[in-house]
Amino acid sequence: MRLNRSLSVRLSFYIVLATGVLFILLLFQMGIAGRNFIRQEATNTANTTLDGAISDMEAAMTDVEAALNSQIWVVKEHLSDPDYMYTVTRNLVDYNPLIVGSAVAFEPYYYPSKGEYYSPYSSTDPQSGKTVSKQLGSNDYDYFTAEWYQVPKLLMANRWSEPYFDEGGGNVMMITYSVPLWNEDGVCFAVMTADVSLSSITDRLSEVHPYENSYPFMLGNSGAYVAHPEEAKTQHETIFTAAIASGDKDVFELGRKMLAGESGNSEIEIEKERYLVTYGPLYNGWSVAIVSPSNDVFAGLKKMNFPMLGGVLLGLLILYFLVRFIIGRTTQPIAEFSYSALSVAKGNFKARIPEVQTHDELKQLETSLHYMLRSFDEYIRELKSSTAANERFESELNIASKIQYGMLPRDFPKDDRVDLYAMLQPAKEVGGDLYVFELSGNHLYFSVGDVSGKGVPASLYMALTRAAFKLLSNMQLTVPQVVAKINDAFAEGNRSNMFVTLFFASLNLDTMEMEYCNAGHNPIVYIDEAGKSQFLPAKPNIACGVFEGFEYQGETAKLSKGSRLVLYTDGVTEAEASDKSQYGEERLLQFASSRPVSESSEKFVSGLLDSVREFTAGNDQNDDITIMSIKFQ
Amino acid sequence: MDVKINQDGCKYEVVLDGRIDTTNADKFQEDLTPLMNAETPEIVMDCTGMQYTSSQGLRIFLSLQKSVIAHKGSLVLRNMDPKVREVFDITGFSSIIKID
Repeated sequence: MRLNRSLSVRLSFYIVLATGVLFILLLFQMGIAGRNFIRQEATNTANTTLDGAISDMEAAMTDVEAALNSQIWVVKEHLSDPDYMYTVTRNLVDYNPLIVGSAVAFEPYYYPSKGEYYSPYSSTDPQSGKTVSKQLGSNDYDYFTAEWYQVPKLLMANRWSEPYFDEGGGNVMMITYSVPLWNEDGVCFAVMTADVSLSSITDRLSEVHPYENSYPFMLGNSGAYVAHPEEAKTQHETIFTAAIASGDKDVFELGRKMLAGESGNSEIEIEKERYLVTYGPLYNGWSVAIVSPSNDVFAGLKKMNFPMLGGVLLGLLILYFLVRFIIGRTTQPIAEFSYSALSVAKGNFKARIPEVQTHDELKQLETSLHYMLRSFDEYIRELKSSTAANERFESELNIASKIQYGMLPRDFPKDDRVDLYAMLQPAKEVGGDLYVFELSGNHLYFSVGDVSGKGVPASLYMALTRAAFKLLSNMQLTVPQVVAKINDAFAEGNRSNMFVTLFFASLNLDTMEMEYCNAGHNPIVYIDEAGKSQFLPAKPNIACGVFEGFEYQGETAKLSKGSRLVLYTDGVTEAEASDKSQYGEERLLQFASSRPVSESSEKFVSGLLDSVREFTAGNDQNDDITIMSIKFQ
Repeated sequence: MDVKINQDGCKYEVVLDGRIDTTNADKFQEDLTPLMNAETPEIVMDCTGMQYTSSQGLRIFLSLQKSVIAHKGSLVLRNMDPKVREVFDITGFSSIIKID
């Protein structure tokens, strides 16, 4: 199962890794989109809120303006009655809740009877809440230089004053709406005012809370704080002094835009915190802004981050186990295949191949494995049978050659009459050479033969030939008669037409008379005592085993002491060099003549073998080589 | 060893080319099988191209000769290389098989 598990684990890991990366990219993208969306939403909300607040404030202010303007004609109508101005102002205060004070301030000496200062004034008493009236101007209060009087008159326009602290009245922040009054000649003769508590206007603003920690503020024409949650700021600071103090460039820029009467949204940094600011102008040139901390705005997004991240991680975990399970299940056969293959590798060709139910690559694998097993099985079976056949063949050859060579006589006679030595050099595959000799009394029997065909027990011929020696010594048969008997024994029932060529001889060591028969064998070499070599003449006979009842002819020769006989098989004369040329009979005779007459048989034999080897020069020996040397002394 | 056999009724013209040795003797015997099974075959073998025969080759010639006799046919070897002829002479096969 290890393969199975590790494969599924690895694949699952990669899949989860890839999915995780995708998820994270997706989350990132979603975060950006969400942030943009939320910012847009926040901006919309802030805009709406701001618009609401602005229109509320503007409504309040226009109410005040309308109330005041509606009394202008009354003032003008009653100019002839200076004291009626108290009534006018009192009515304005009584019937307009927003207006806490109102005055009609006349030009110096407008009414000569009233003196330099004449400014009837009504206001709500902060303690009693009742309306009280008085003449405002005096040497102590030179209203002609007051902002609310001077500026509108100079600008020849109705005007709201900047906020100011009303020390004499309600001890609250006030703003005053001033309207210059003109006569038919276009000369200003009075300024009519309505005082409004700043808070009554900005109270509406303070209700603006799109987010928990958001706050509004309002700037006057000069950038002074008209309204700000920190009240202290409203008296002394402008947005620019605040910006310079804190070093926030964003705030400075915001102030510039607000003073220019622009409306818009921006994300700014105030004292290292980020804020979303929405701002817009009031019609009188003031500007309102709502400041919302980014943390508040994007709190929802942040709150979402954790559950989403958790969800993703949980999802990935589930995906991991799911994928691992599926891959594990799917690749289960692979593990089993691996075990089957291992089993096969260990030599079990009956190993069980797991059955695959699906029709996919695994099924192909199963089919291939089955095919492989069948091929293996067949191949191994063939290999086994051919190996067995080879082994059988080789062992037969080995047995045959062992028997053959084991039967070769090795007790070479070497005495004062005869020195016999023989050697059989087998070819790679067993040939059919044989040599036999026997020294019995004063008779030396010897024979060299070559059996045709492979794997034929030359040993049989040897046994037979040896038996034939007994025939010779015991039954007084002639050599050709013995060869004929050997021939008959083999020709009978010789279906495969094997045959053996034989040189067969019997020598009387006393008389040195030799009786011999050549049954299809190579002629033997005779080297006389002077070292002259020649082939011993022989009547042609057919090889043994060919025709039953063939009458073999033999002959006799008288040898001299000091001479040598050399018997051999065609492995010598037909030894081939790489150019297919053969050692040949001529070379053999030359070799025989070139050796010292007194050389021992053993040295002669090995010398001849060396000569043949030298001739073939490493070319493969393709037939047995048998050499027998008999030296007489 | 290359063996070409042209048959015309009972008459077989066989052309031998190459050497017969231990490595191809079995193949040679296989090639001659149709001749050994034929009834009253009159076989003429051209041995011009046969440079050498081992004793296994001789054995196959002997088998062929025996089957030809058994099937009441005839076998003649022609144009034999002197060296090969010598082998036939030594083994006495030239007295069994007719060589022109």
